[in-house]
Amino acid sequence: MGPAGAAAARPRRSRWGISPAVWLLSPAIAFVVLLTGFPFLYAIYLSLNRFLFGGNPAFIGLGNYAQMARDPVFWSGLRVTFVLYVGALAAQLVFGLYVGMLLNRPLRFARVLRTILLSPFAMPSVAVGMMWLILLDPSFGSVNFLLQLVGLPKSLFLASPSLVVPTLAVIDTWQWTPFVALIVLGGLQSLPREPYEAAVIDGASATQLFWWITLPLLRPALLAAAILRSVDLLRFFDTIYVTTQGGPGQASTTLNIYAYQQGFQFFQLGYASALMLTLLATVLIVVMALTSLRRVIA
Amino acid sequence: MTSGGRVRALQSAWLYAQYAVVCAIILAPIGWTILSSFKPSAAVTAYPPTLTFIPTLENYRQLFTTVPLLRYGINSVIIAGGSTLVGLCLGVPAAFAVSWYQIFWPASLSLVARMAPGGLFLLPWYVLASRMHLTNTYTALILTHAVITMPVVLWTMISFFDAVPRDTIESSLVDGCALGGAIGRVAIPLAAPGIIVATVLSFILSWNYFLFALVLAGLNTTPLTVAAFQFVGEGVTDWGMLMGVATLLALPPLLLAFLVQQWLVQGLTFGAVKG
Repeated sequence: MGPAGAAAARPRRSRWGISPAVWLLSPAIAFVVLLTGFPFLYAIYLSLNRFLFGGNPAFIGLGNYAQMARDPVFWSGLRVTFVLYVGALAAQLVFGLYVGMLLNRPLRFARVLRTILLSPFAMPSVAVGMMWLILLDPSFGSVNFLLQLVGLPKSLFLASPSLVVPTLAVIDTWQWTPFVALIVLGGLQSLPREPYEAAVIDGASATQLFWWITLPLLRPALLAAAILRSVDLLRFFDTIYVTTQGGPGQASTTLNIYAYQQGFQFFQLGYASALMLTLLATVLIVVMALTSLRRVIA
Repeated sequence: MTSGGRVRALQSAWLYAQYAVVCAIILAPIGWTILSSFKPSAAVTAYPPTLTFIPTLENYRQLFTTVPLLRYGINSVIIAGGSTLVGLCLGVPAAFAVSWYQIFWPASLSLVARMAPGGLFLLPWYVLASRMHLTNTYTALILTHAVITMPVVLWTMISFFDAVPRDTIESSLVDGCALGGAIGRVAIPLAAPGIIVATVLSFILSWNYFLFALVLAGLNTTPLTVAAFQFVGEGVTDWGMLMGVATLLALPPLLLAFLVQQWLVQGLTFGAVKG
C-alpha cells in the first residue's frame, strides 16, 4: 500500500482536533523527558557547580572540567576504559564470527546449542561476576588448577594490577561473545546464495569464499554488533564493581567506575556529573564514528 | 568406506569437537557455580578443586534462615514486575503510533537514554529522591527501572505491530470502530505474542539491572542483585552461600530467556538485527 492509501485511512481527528497519535505517544514521550531529559539538563547544571551532597551548589563555570584535565585518575580511567573496550571488542567480534559460522553449519542439536548460547548474557552481570570470583580465586580457583595441570604457574588474575584489565576483558568476552555469534548467525542466514554458487563455479577455495564473499556481506551485521557492544563496553560497570570495585589500587577504575565513586562515595555531585557527561560524549563520538563507518563500508 | 566418506566423517567429527569445546567453555563456569552451591563448606574452597562430595542443601538453608533472602527475591519481583507493567502501559500505545503513523523520532529518542551511562541520570534522581524522601521506596525503583523496560517494549512491539496487516485495522476503522477500539480489539489481540515477548524481555532486563537499585534501594526494598553484591562486598567468605545466591539470582532470567529464545537477541539489539 502506498503513502496515499495510508493517509486516506488515517482515523479522523478527535473532537478537540488532536491527532490520536498525540494521545498514544505523549505518555511515553513525557516519561522519557521527565525521567531522562530533565535529569540530563540538571546534570549539565551540576557539572558547572561545586556541589558536595548536603551543601549548596556553588557556580564554578568550567572548574570541574579543568579539574578533570589535571586529574591523573581521570586520565588513567580513560586509558583503562579504552584498553578494556578495544581488547574486549576485538575478541568478541573475532570469536563471535567464528562461533556464528560454526552454528550456521547443518547440525543435529542446533536448537539446544542456541539455547546454551543465550545463557551467559541472559543472566545478570552481578551473577557472572560472582561466578568468576570463585573460578579465578588466587588460592583455590579452578582456573589456576587448570593452569597448573598444563604446567603453567598460578596467577592472581583479578588481584593483579597488570592482569586485572585483561581478565575483565575475558570475563566480558565470555558473557557477550555468544550474543555477537547469534547476531552473526542471523546475518549469515540472510545471505544470498548466488555469489557463492558463482564463485564455486569459478573454482574459489573455502578461504577465498570467506574473505571475498562472506566477510564483506556480513559487514552490516558485524557493525551492528560492534556498535551495540561499544555502547556497553565504554560504560562497563557491573562486573567490575562486583569483582574489583576498580582495584587493585586503581588498576581497573574505568571512567564509569571513577564517576560513580566521585558521586556516590565522595558525594562530589558536580565533579561526578562532569565525568559522566564526558563519558556520554565519549560514547556518542564512538557511536557516531562507527555509524559513519557504516555509510562508507556497509 | 570410501576415502570421500572417511574425509566427511572426519570433518563432521572435527565440527562436533568444536561445538563441544564452545559448549564446555560456556557451561563449565555456570555448572561449577551451581555445583558449588550444593557443596559442604570445606569442599567449596578445597584445592585441588573436588568433584567428589556429598551434596547438601545446607548453603540454601543458611541463606534463607540467616538473611531475609525471600524478602530480597520478592523485592526483585515487585521491581521487575512493576517496571514491566509501567513499560507496557507506556510502550505499547507508543509502539502502535510509531508503526501506524510511521513517526520514528519518539523511538529514536528512547534510545538516547540507552547510550548514556546510568549514573548520569542517577545523580539527579538521587538528589531529587532524597529531597522528596523517595529513596528506599518501590516507586523510585519501579520508575527508574521503567527507563530500561520502556524502550525494550517499544522496540519489540513496533516490529510486532508492523506485522499486523494494515487492511485488518483499516477495515475495522471503516466499520465504525474508533481508533482506541481498533487497537484494543484488533491490533493488540493480533500482536499478543509480541506482548508476551515484550513482557518477558522487560522482566529479564529489569531483574538483571544493578546500578539504580545499588544507590536508590534501602533496607526494605533491596532486590536480589544488590543483596548478592553486598554478600561479596562485606567480605562474607562463605563461598557456598555466595554461590547459592548467584544461582538463585541467575535462575529466573535463565528460565525466562529459554522461553523467548531468539527474541532476546532481537530485544537487545533494538531492531538493529532481525533474529
